[in-house]
Amino acid sequence: MGVISLRLKERELKRLDELSKLERKDRSTTARELLEYGWEFLMVKHYKEGKLSLEGLAKKLDISISEAIDRLSELGIEAPIEFEDYLRGFKAF
Amino acid sequence: MEIVFDASTLILLAKIDLLRELTGGVKVIIPEKVKTECLSKTGIDAMLISILIRENKIEVKKVENSEAIKKIQRDFRIETGEAEAICLAKTLGCPLAVDDGPTIKASKVMGLRFTTAVHFLLNLVSQNRLELPIALAKLEKLSNYGRYSRAIIEDAMKRLRGGE
Repeated sequence: MGVISLRLKERELKRLDELSKLERKDRSTTARELLEYGWEFLMVKHYKEGKLSLEGLAKKLDISISEAIDRLSELGIEAPIEFEDYLRGFKAF
Repeated sequence: MEIVFDASTLILLAKIDLLRELTGGVKVIIPEKVKTECLSKTGIDAMLISILIRENKIEVKKVENSEAIKKIQRDFRIETGEAEAICLAKTLGCPLAVDDGPTIKASKVMGLRFTTAVHFLLNLVSQNRLELPIALAKLEKLSNYGRYSRAIIEDAMKRLRGGE
């Protein structure tokens, strides 16, 4: 595990302390978990906005595509497929 | 009818247990990278896909043109499996089954016909290969895993009930 030092705002430190108290975990563990959640949130947001493909999302989250589908389903994230594309899809048959 | 599948649609159809029925009427082709992705973790869907490959109901094809694949990835910001599926569909001159926004966009730009998991469900019903109550249950499952917009699900429901 690597070590870095970083400056945090008073508000961020307060939140970190609040969460570590709530979760009964030390500051480092809580900070690492928050980074994990933040990363996932950002990647899912990119996917939702169509900036990241499903395979890309799975890669970024270090999970399989099947697991990425399950995760998106749990979070209720709508697939970026437009109604017009859906109508076009009938022409393939 | 031959259709190249991206991992997204293949896994969705496996998750709602419709993939085996589908292989009865459609020749399912996947690139090697899609096979690797689908079988990368154990699970019911991976197991089903693996069995269908062994039974030759899903054909795995090698995509040779690595330069074209890299270019598609760069141009459309998609990954290897998605780009290989586009490349293979283009080479074989057949539609692409895909449930991924950026890959659909790339298909449109490249003039490729595409379709999604929900279309296969509707198609099986229109061919009388799936009964309505089962199709409705599958559509509910698919709306959960496929996370289609309300407009798409409502239209699909209308088509199922009204036979449009």
